[in-house]
Amino acid sequence: MPLVAVPKPTLTQKLKRFFMVDLLKGLAVTLGFNIGALTDRDAVAGKGIYTEQYPKVRPDVAPRFHGAPRLNMDPETHDTLCIACNLCALACPEDCIDVIPMDVEVVVAGKPRRKKVLDEFIFDTSRCMFCALCQEACPTYCLELTQDFELATYSRAGFVWNREMLEQGRETVKYKS
Amino acid sequence: MFALLAAPTFIDSLLLKFFSEQTVNYVIWPFIQIGLVVVITTGWVAYATYLERKISAFMQARLGPMRVGPWGLLQPIADGLKLLTKEDFVPENADRWIFFVAPYIAVVAAFIVMAVVPFGPDWAVITDVNIGVLFVLAVSSVGVLALILAGWSSNSKYALLGALRSSAQMVSYEVSMGLAIIGALMFARTLSLSGVVTAQGSDSIWFLFYQPIGFAVFLISGIAENNRAPFDLPEAESELVAGFHTEYSGFRWSLFFMAEYAAMVVVTAVATTLYLGGWYFPWVWRLEAAGYHNLYVVVSLLVFLAKAGLLLYLYFWLRWTLPRFRYDQLMDLGWKWMLPAALINIVVTAIGVAVIQGLNGGGRTIDQVQVSSGLGLTATGKAIAIGFGIVNLLLTAGILSLINWRSRDFNLKKQRRQIRLVDLPKGKPAVAPVSSESAV
Repeated sequence: MPLVAVPKPTLTQKLKRFFMVDLLKGLAVTLGFNIGALTDRDAVAGKGIYTEQYPKVRPDVAPRFHGAPRLNMDPETHDTLCIACNLCALACPEDCIDVIPMDVEVVVAGKPRRKKVLDEFIFDTSRCMFCALCQEACPTYCLELTQDFELATYSRAGFVWNREMLEQGRETVKYKS
Repeated sequence: MFALLAAPTFIDSLLLKFFSEQTVNYVIWPFIQIGLVVVITTGWVAYATYLERKISAFMQARLGPMRVGPWGLLQPIADGLKLLTKEDFVPENADRWIFFVAPYIAVVAAFIVMAVVPFGPDWAVITDVNIGVLFVLAVSSVGVLALILAGWSSNSKYALLGALRSSAQMVSYEVSMGLAIIGALMFARTLSLSGVVTAQGSDSIWFLFYQPIGFAVFLISGIAENNRAPFDLPEAESELVAGFHTEYSGFRWSLFFMAEYAAMVVVTAVATTLYLGGWYFPWVWRLEAAGYHNLYVVVSLLVFLAKAGLLLYLYFWLRWTLPRFRYDQLMDLGWKWMLPAALINIVVTAIGVAVIQGLNGGGRTIDQVQVSSGLGLTATGKAIAIGFGIVNLLLTAGILSLINWRSRDFNLKKQRRQIRLVDLPKGKPAVAPVSSESAV
């Protein structure tokens, strides 16, 4: 009893094998891709080149992509929009945000009052899962996850972003195209 | 352009001031030619690697090398510099001298064949050896010796397996490669490669049309000789790490790499010469007739390079289309398909030539028989020869399927059909059925 049942080839299969139809089909596929690479550069027909020239050409990320965090500032006064309400830290499921407020004395309607303002903002991107719940929680549209995706650093400490990095953005090498 | 073409006469007159005419003609010019061919071949080899990477990338919807120079055109130079500066590592207990010498044998065997390849008419030929085809066959098979030596001396099991495969592969293609050429030589009536081209030029036809089977067998054997996919068993990077050159690094490894591509270039050049008319192209001779001799040579040279380039593309194309053959499949192909095909080709071609000569009453099939310039067929003779070529195709197909009808499926499938469980009487299951009592 054969362990493996190998069916005998039919006449069509024999003819196909004789005229090497499968070989010619394979050659046609590779030639099609080669011609496609030379003619259809943006892979419109599905046979062109898919490679992105990454550092030179920036890829288009998806519209709902969440990347590097940023603290927005008032465009005119350059004061931070953050009111140190701590809602983002409370919303964060990974507990990677630390809002460190400080008290300042302000005079409201002639009376001295104390007010919380933002002193330091710590955002640990190594623990962040980019769910953007902090962005949802922010009442002043201050904290935002941008579409910037270059987050790699040389050390583990480099993943922890402070207020300055969050406000100014991190410096990365930009390649000329 | 024309200043460039006038340069040889200028250099010639300059050299004649310092040396005698014999020295210039037989020593200095050959050296210049050799130097040019070595430089051109090296450049060709370097850019063959570039083209291979580009074409493979295109076939896989990638871009290939892009960073070094525009479109990555300087990539071969960067690779060469990198390999030159790498450590030359010798494994422990390796056979040092053989290990050192093997890459040079490979390179020399591949490059030396270039000496007899006619790149074009007149000064584009370095030497016209009157047994050129034999020389090519003999020297290019020395390259396999280098692979065997490299694999043996490496003191590594992968390298040794690669060398073993290489030696077994050699015996299965070399015979059919030699036999495949004979058909073309019957029409050319000479072993000189320039003579073969002249024969095709005087007939104004490519031997491909007379010898379709011969061309196919020669090309397949050539791919096997160069260890290119789908016959890259000695390298087999998915099975044997890197095969025979597993233990090589740096410059020696790059020599093997160069040898592989140079051997490819050689086989394409010889296939072009024998079957695709070499540098011959219709109407190019009118340049010579109009008096532009050097331009004629250069155009012929470009024709030759274009034809060889097409065959080189075929190499890349096949490599990225076909998976690697299994060891026994290559043996099967070599001994049961290509060798009979080459033999049938010889017999049918011989009959064809005899028929053409027999019909020649009153110059109906042959213009005039000359020594070393082909048969000189008339139109009728060409038609008969092409007819024999087509008959040859059908006959070979028939005989091959007759020979191989039992082993059409390669051995493994055949064996699988017949696998039976041993030590069991027929009709009884292999595992005794579990009875209801024991299950409880």
